[in-house]
Amino acid sequence: MVNRSESAKKPGVCFPWEEKLKEFSEIKGDKELVKKIWEDVDSLAYVYIWHCLLSF
Amino acid sequence: MAKNMEQLYAQRLKRYTTAMRNGKPDMVPVRPFVAEFTASYAGYTCQEVTHDYEKAFIAARKCAADFDWDAVVSNMVYVWTGLTEAIGTKYYAAPGINIPPDTGFQYREPPEDQAFMKPEEYDEFIKDPTGFLFNIWLPRVSRYVTATGKPSSYHNNLSFLKGGMAMLQYFNSFGRQNELLRTECGTVSAISGIFKAPLDIIADKLRGYLGLVNDLLERPKKVMAACEALMPHLEWMALSAASKEVPIGYWMHRGCVPFVNMEHFNNFYWPTVKPIIESIWSKGYQVLFYAEGNWDAHLKSFAELPDASIVYHCDRGDIFRIHKEIGHKFCISGGVPNTLLSMGTPQEVRDCCRKIIEGVAQDGGYIMDASAIIQNDAKVENMKAMTDATREYGIY
Repeated sequence: MVNRSESAKKPGVCFPWEEKLKEFSEIKGDKELVKKIWEDVDSLAYVYIWHCLLSF
Repeated sequence: MAKNMEQLYAQRLKRYTTAMRNGKPDMVPVRPFVAEFTASYAGYTCQEVTHDYEKAFIAARKCAADFDWDAVVSNMVYVWTGLTEAIGTKYYAAPGINIPPDTGFQYREPPEDQAFMKPEEYDEFIKDPTGFLFNIWLPRVSRYVTATGKPSSYHNNLSFLKGGMAMLQYFNSFGRQNELLRTECGTVSAISGIFKAPLDIIADKLRGYLGLVNDLLERPKKVMAACEALMPHLEWMALSAASKEVPIGYWMHRGCVPFVNMEHFNNFYWPTVKPIIESIWSKGYQVLFYAEGNWDAHLKSFAELPDASIVYHCDRGDIFRIHKEIGHKFCISGGVPNTLLSMGTPQEVRDCCRKIIEGVAQDGGYIMDASAIIQNDAKVENMKAMTDATREYGIY
């Protein structure tokens, strides 16, 4: 879970790619693919919490 | 006359979208926002349609097929207790659990001293709204989610897994429901996407209404900063499930006079809504202002928006005044009192519909609907009278 002391995140983001990237010493293949899939799945968590607030 | 269901759907979609762009279609579209009415009509209890969304879908489709309706909401009984119970949401009273099986679900705002956000927490929320929601807000609104720093639990872990999967399952099921509405009933799914105003979110889900109105006086800069922090997120969410054919539903709660004063509306509510609506419109999407209560004091503000950027739904406002003040810019819907649908006679409903059509719909840009969401107190014969009167008096 994201630590609340972190800086504000953009819409659609729970755990920014820039933070995730720090976990890897290197990415041997397609970095953009890893980034895209991370961000796609991360946005599902974003949609979850904001729908909890807005819709339910 | 449509020869098959697909032609009927195309005819209704054209009728509905033409009216929403403030144009004149072949006839006045009928688009009732039917919620628990669908349950009583289809022979279900409120508990059944709230707990089992497949029954809610069946009930919505039965109404759409049996009545001559152009568009409906796929499931206006939108709270599915399978999801809210998985999360452990505290603020709902669910039919069959906390309230009788034939009462529609209720939202219970906590007492002021138990608000889900404390007055001293504005800065933390402003700094990172998404983090605040996960770490502070969700543990307070859920019976299962544990606060950050506290030991995790089986309930906590299950809540996220079950909640996430249940939400995905529920949202994915709407695609099939919309397709069945189209192929079985020839009926259009009326809205797509959701928007709420920043000030309403603070009142409804964070500080409570009483907390908010105190804050507007005691810490107005914090309230404004919180509204501004919410704006990009609310726009992103509105667009995340939007369609360019049908409008984004904008559910308007307590941001109008007399819930707040005119100065608060002008300085807090409207400046944090208007730019979002303009931005959404610039991307090609319309917004349906579902103006619950009476927002007549603010019609001049709404008239600042670009022509046809919104559809304005009238609940307790004066629909003839609304038509006079903003009807030249926007399509208007609603205006048939729910009390009339539940306690009036079919003739009274017909007379009301005729009066609205003659006074508001003559140049197009009007959609027939009740004032508010239609629950299980509405009489079937009155719903039929509203539909039939529109078909009789609403031909162009």
